[in-house]
Amino acid sequence: MNMRRSVLILLLFLLFILQGTVLPWLIPDIWQMRIIPNLVLVAILFVTVYHHRHTALLLGLSFGMLQDVVFYGRILGSHSFTMGLSAYLIGLIFQLPRAPLPLMMSVVLLGSLLADSMLFGIYTVFNLNQEPYSWALLNHMLPTMLVHFAIALLFYVPLRKQLELIKKEAAKEENA
Amino acid sequence: MLKLFKLFNNKRLFIMLITLVLFIVVMGFSLGPRKVLSWPESFLRDTTGFVQKMFYKPAGYVAGLFEDIGNLKDLAKENEELKILAAQYARDKATYNFIEAQYKLLQKQVHFTAAQKAQYDYEYWTVQVVGESTEPNNSSIVIDRGSNEGVKLNMPVISDKGLVGIVSRVSKFTATVKPLTMMDPNDPNSQPPIAATATNKETKSFGMVESYDLKTGRLLMKRIPPGDPIKEGDTVVSSGSGGLYPRGLIIGTVDSVDIGEYGLTSTAIINPAAGFQDWKLLTVVASHQESEE
Repeated sequence: MNMRRSVLILLLFLLFILQGTVLPWLIPDIWQMRIIPNLVLVAILFVTVYHHRHTALLLGLSFGMLQDVVFYGRILGSHSFTMGLSAYLIGLIFQLPRAPLPLMMSVVLLGSLLADSMLFGIYTVFNLNQEPYSWALLNHMLPTMLVHFAIALLFYVPLRKQLELIKKEAAKEENA
Repeated sequence: MLKLFKLFNNKRLFIMLITLVLFIVVMGFSLGPRKVLSWPESFLRDTTGFVQKMFYKPAGYVAGLFEDIGNLKDLAKENEELKILAAQYARDKATYNFIEAQYKLLQKQVHFTAAQKAQYDYEYWTVQVVGESTEPNNSSIVIDRGSNEGVKLNMPVISDKGLVGIVSRVSKFTATVKPLTMMDPNDPNSQPPIAATATNKETKSFGMVESYDLKTGRLLMKRIPPGDPIKEGDTVVSSGSGGLYPRGLIIGTVDSVDIGEYGLTSTAIINPAAGFQDWKLLTVVASHQESEE
């Protein structure tokens, strides 16, 4: 049980590393400021739907903080807050261990939009952002949503399998 | 306290409120310029940076390989141009050496102080990029050199094309570079405006590069006095006046010059020389005068 869980955490860490190092090379330079993929967020959305929202909340808070500290540009805690809260809120509404693929995809779209909008809100509140919401939506939120959709399609099968195995093991432990 | 608990009658709500307040405190606290990061931050950044380095470099090589294959057909032409440039450079270098020698001699004759002599004496440190985040409002580049090797806040970072950004946070073995795209006069902690001038008009032209327009992807150089000879197509470099930034860092080329907001000064719109892209190597420019605010 702990084994599987630590594997999941390691996997998320690997995703975080890939997102900062390999993805910039894959995305063409012209789109760099428009597509901001957050692999970890997508994975955490899977956790919140197929596993439990509390786990997702903790993962979101910690990996968001990691992102904040490592890429500390102007402010700490913004990613931590948005990733944790958006995963939790999505989990409140959609915690369905049997969710089919189309539903999961719409959850990813919604969650990514929610997280980006929250980030936008935080930056606006702290006067780090002067652009109107409509521009931000068209400029980077929607393209990012589409990319997240594609990434979620890639993740769907392996990640769901992993999460169900974790669930099974947890159930076994409870019965034992 | 107990009364408070009774009032909420719900532990979860209470915890949520406390977390919210904590987050707001952390965000507000982290906004300002911080010379030294706390040790957990430093530790987390350095370990992650170490892992990132192992991934970023190979990925860069693979991507670079494909780019190289794409560039094969332009190679001969580029080579020709570079040869001409190299010949020019050799001539200029000879002239430069003469001028430098004479300059040193004259400095001696008019008794320059040590500080004055060291004013334009810069060191260039090549650093590896280990990771980047490209959010429009909070982008940053992580480099693999930190306070242990002498990197300090507000040191400019350049690529082969021009000025990329300035160092905004430093931990022991890594540092974060804030790109020029984060320049924002409304943000109290934005990097200070850069005193700039146009090449070949160094003594006549002056302006302050102080903001970046996300929508158009252009830098704005404001406060250009009337009668300034700057015009379209000029290369804008940092002038070094004020002493915060080294002089001679290429910022970009002028797209157009318009009348500024109050009609007294003009504003030049500058196309940045080093747009945001994937760099393998960057150079930190260190001056002996400590540029710390």
